[in-house]
Amino acid sequence: MTTSERPERKREVIAKAKPAVVLVCVVATLAVTVGTVLDAQRTQDGPASAAAFSTPQTTGAAPTLSPREVLDRYCVTCHNERLRTGGLALDTVDPERVGEDAEVWEKVVRKLRTGLMPPSPRRRPDAATYASTVSYFETALDRVAAANPNPGRPAVHRLNRAEYTNAIHDLLALEVDGRALLPADGASYGFDNIGDVLSVSPGLLERYLLAAAKISRRAVGDPTLRPTTAIYKTSPLLAQDDRISEDLPFGSRGGLAVRHHFPLDAEYIIKIALRGRARRAHQLEVRLDRERVRLFELSEREPLELRVPVKAGTRLVGVSFVEALEQSLPVDGRPPPPPISSFAFTLYPNAPAVGSLEIVGPYDGQVPEDTPSRRAIFVCHPATTEDEASCAREIVASLARRAYRRPVSDADTLPLLASYEHGRREGGGFEDGIRWVVEALLVSPKFLFRIERDPVNAPPGTPYRISDLELASRLSFFLWSSIPDDELIDLAAREALSEPAVLEAQVRRMLDDPRSHALVENFTGQWLYLRNMRIVTPDATQFPDFDDNLREAFRRETELFVESQLREDRSVRDLLGADYTFLNERLARHYSIPNVYGSHFRRVTYADDRRAGLLGHGSILTVTSPPHRTSPTVRGKWLLENLLGAPPPPPPADVPGLPEHEGGEKPATMRERLALHRVNPVCASCHAKIDPLGFALENFDAVGRWRATDGAEDIPVDASGALPDGAEFDGPASFRDALLREPWGTEFVTTITEKLLTYALGRGLEYYDAPVARQIVREAAPDNYPWSSLILGIVKSTPFQMRTSSDSGDTRAP
Amino acid sequence: MMITKKYLPRRTVLRGLGASLALPLLDGMVPAFAATRNTAANPVRRFGAIYVPNGVEMRAWTPAGAGTALELSPVLQPLAPVAGQVNVLTGLADNVAIPREGEGVGDHARAASTWLTGVHVKKTEGADIRAGTSLDQIVAQEFGKETQLASLELAIDSVEVLGACDQGYSCAYVNTIAWRTPTTPLPMENNPRAVFERLFGAADSTDVQTRLARIRQDRSILDFVTDEANGLNRALGAGDQLKLAQYLDAVRDVERRIQKAEEQSDRDIPVVEQPVGIPGTFEEHCRLMFDLLTLAYQTDLTRVSTFMFGKEVSGRSFPEIGVPGGHHGYSHHQNDPENLAMLAKVNTHHISQFAYFLEKLDSIPDGDGSLLDHSLFLYGSGISDGNLHFHLDLPTVLAGGGGGHVKGGRHLRYASETPLANLHMSVLDKLGLPEETFGDSTGTLRYLSDV
Repeated sequence: MTTSERPERKREVIAKAKPAVVLVCVVATLAVTVGTVLDAQRTQDGPASAAAFSTPQTTGAAPTLSPREVLDRYCVTCHNERLRTGGLALDTVDPERVGEDAEVWEKVVRKLRTGLMPPSPRRRPDAATYASTVSYFETALDRVAAANPNPGRPAVHRLNRAEYTNAIHDLLALEVDGRALLPADGASYGFDNIGDVLSVSPGLLERYLLAAAKISRRAVGDPTLRPTTAIYKTSPLLAQDDRISEDLPFGSRGGLAVRHHFPLDAEYIIKIALRGRARRAHQLEVRLDRERVRLFELSEREPLELRVPVKAGTRLVGVSFVEALEQSLPVDGRPPPPPISSFAFTLYPNAPAVGSLEIVGPYDGQVPEDTPSRRAIFVCHPATTEDEASCAREIVASLARRAYRRPVSDADTLPLLASYEHGRREGGGFEDGIRWVVEALLVSPKFLFRIERDPVNAPPGTPYRISDLELASRLSFFLWSSIPDDELIDLAAREALSEPAVLEAQVRRMLDDPRSHALVENFTGQWLYLRNMRIVTPDATQFPDFDDNLREAFRRETELFVESQLREDRSVRDLLGADYTFLNERLARHYSIPNVYGSHFRRVTYADDRRAGLLGHGSILTVTSPPHRTSPTVRGKWLLENLLGAPPPPPPADVPGLPEHEGGEKPATMRERLALHRVNPVCASCHAKIDPLGFALENFDAVGRWRATDGAEDIPVDASGALPDGAEFDGPASFRDALLREPWGTEFVTTITEKLLTYALGRGLEYYDAPVARQIVREAAPDNYPWSSLILGIVKSTPFQMRTSSDSGDTRAP
Repeated sequence: MMITKKYLPRRTVLRGLGASLALPLLDGMVPAFAATRNTAANPVRRFGAIYVPNGVEMRAWTPAGAGTALELSPVLQPLAPVAGQVNVLTGLADNVAIPREGEGVGDHARAASTWLTGVHVKKTEGADIRAGTSLDQIVAQEFGKETQLASLELAIDSVEVLGACDQGYSCAYVNTIAWRTPTTPLPMENNPRAVFERLFGAADSTDVQTRLARIRQDRSILDFVTDEANGLNRALGAGDQLKLAQYLDAVRDVERRIQKAEEQSDRDIPVVEQPVGIPGTFEEHCRLMFDLLTLAYQTDLTRVSTFMFGKEVSGRSFPEIGVPGGHHGYSHHQNDPENLAMLAKVNTHHISQFAYFLEKLDSIPDGDGSLLDHSLFLYGSGISDGNLHFHLDLPTVLAGGGGGHVKGGRHLRYASETPLANLHMSVLDKLGLPEETFGDSTGTLRYLSDV
């Protein structure tokens, strides 16, 4: 399969082989022009009226050149069949018939939209001609796409780990830890829900089998369960000098709170191990679903162990110290947290910390009468042995419908009923049979794979509308990362879901549902690299106060922020510009923001515009930094790739990274070091575009603290620079403003749309998807790009509602 | 969860605390599983390949001199206790990792994906990935007939890191070095608990009847899914059938394993408590994984493995040994003495973990010698000098006696650009699985069996 990006990359590589002074100069001379041009285009005519530009002549101003003439005059000097600069020849393609080479023209449009071509010192057309040329191609391409829709063909899609975990929750009302049950999935195009790469290996199948066995026993309940041990450890890098979780009582100190599944009504042993020594009397309490079940006086030297009866189900187990460490001090007088040393965890000379919590059981257990899982499974209870068969049929039908996400037939239920019979014989009872059904169901390919079928008589390689039931699954996996609920399946089974009004109402309902948190977790978690927060390791000698409390606070801040944007249906542009965030005391102290006390997060409006929007979040500033310093190059690349949809070409082979220092003399600042990028023309061709964007954020260090100076010499940070089109900025605030102005404002919205579309479809985008993204952005513009508008735009789009039938046409194997 | 055997006096704990707790278990409590089975009449050979990313500091790696008196370099010093069982090979080249016309960057992805396959891989981010069947899998096709698991694939890094794959190349090319077929990369597991469950299952009993009951249920479920998948397959387009075929292939593999487990259900099962999650430090994590791997070899659950100390482009920092910055960053050292020193520290740290593994294998009796005596372990990287992504003169160690076929304690120099695949050919030879050709091989390596 070819992607729209690959040939472009190749082109860049070839271009780099030439002495590449070009782009450095482009920036200064051209960008102003282009910026103005595109501004003018968008403000005067508005994107929605692009159709007016069907020919360049209609722009009114002056342009009299046809697209062919523009190309001949300004482009083909380099982009011709003989030179093929950047792998592109524009003399042999016909701009009057863009449909014949749509892939080529989409590449042209992408470069022109942000004014990157022709490069200086080549001549360029006047502003009006430039604008009308871009517009001509976009309009023509959009028209071709509308006449010949190509929805693409997403591959058979295996449920990824997040989807499996959510599906278990929605199917069986059971919380499971997917990270413990299944391996992480491979990713492509920046997301781990891409059908192409969600493969199955023997090792993975074994994990599915094990997971199904464990889940079915937990969901149904199994009286033969033997005691097992679960150990929850606290990170040694977690300072336990304050209340540590919203799930622990106010006034408590340290400890941990876990959601633990107790499989049976039974007795369980809870053991606690401490780190550090108690020098005075301490009290430690254990709570179950927030009720205290035991208070230990640590001075008594009794083992920290208790045996308690617990009802089956997932319960919150909390362990914490009762006293607050610095109770007597006024909040502002608290000492700063102790420095983290990665070698010796002697953090708490005066107070012990909870090291681990061990839960062993069940002992003397009984299968519970009533748990959420049993309610979800047992839609009937056989009163007599004679009732068992019919009740089993009822249970199988109800489970299979939800797990397979469609109405089921005998072909679906009979094999499961055979499992029931088998299990009943082996285990000796009705419930054993049902447990076997659940176990089989969870490894059935009908559950594990999302399969869309071509209509029986579909001609090969032709677009067709997917069924309502397939649409229901596309919706639920997009917005919830889970299976559809009964309402969606019912609507789809009646073929009512694809009604535009019904569909829109359902999308809004789904966005209002808490399950749409999956979008924050899985879409933004990957789009913004937030998932890397788990593994970043800032250098402990330089950032001694980077503990796990801060790590957790970073993650939480961004999640709460994005969630609020989504819930309030704000403009996606607010992701960059919003003047508020979510802080707790630890994070506020890190950001030097006063008057935020306590461990809970609350919404805080910024007093100044330094940190507004996502770009001031510690999470993003940290995941885009190496462990021991900032890297404007890494941040610049991240910004170009993820916010501006203009990934820089990869560095040429055999070009080494920058020296930490060279010739004995250490450059004083990052800017001086990176100046070396500009000395070498091969480097400069790209780094002139990348590095300046990173400089805009240089006031934030590698863990997101504000700094006015950089380096040992206390040299003031110089956060000035320019975007690839020349738009200048000085510091994060003016940088954000520049990003929100044209052409970058639209580029940002287009980029997030393309990322969302990739995620929604579970496949990489192709050139034929570009018109779709343009249309979504155009239609969201009048309302200033609210989230719901982009999401609805995607749901209503051709690639979301349709699919191209198999090329072979052989939809039925012999 | 615990697998207990009644006559052993205590339950030893193998949990996320690393070597100190795990060692006594492995030394003392695993009964003679494979030990007596390895006889001259029925020799058992084992193989493993261990990958380090980002190349190494070659000046600190390459031993002085050549020939029989192996003088360990600074980086290789931790191998001293097993030096007699180790050969250092210099001069081998991963020629197929060198980019072809127009391919440009991607040296990291090419290095990892070619190292065991010897095949120039297809540059793509889509589903059309293509490498070659890797050396370990060729061995596994044969050795796996005897064991429950054909092979084990282990790693330290998570595949979840975002933005960390080499540009233009599918993440599959950096996530694994094991390829079951040219189009089927094998995912690597980095969670010790998951490895444990793969080895010993989640069954909570060692009672034979209970285990047999579980086997019956597993078999019934596999029959069920086979029928389901076959039913679906009939109604699908050709491209979609491939996915189902992959699934069915996996089902057959697991069926075969269950068959083996049933045949071997009278065997003792070691007393082990499940490890909990991923340990806190790199060293603890490595050692726990090597403990599990040793256990797998020792119990003859598998005879083939691959292991990755890190993914290519890994930016892991090692503050615990005084390496604050990222590994990949230091590998582009620019000949700066400080960077080189940091890189050498990382390289030595890796070798230390490898030495831990070899010493452990060497301490376990197997037939007329030790596990190490009857195994071959290949250690190295597809890059030598990371500064320029150099694919020639690779750092390579071959450890283990291969069942008396390889003599250790030497530094062997080969002509520059000798294909690494020639070593792979030799490995296959020594393991009794000679092939006509492998990847870009031009023959086998000389000297290895000069006893």
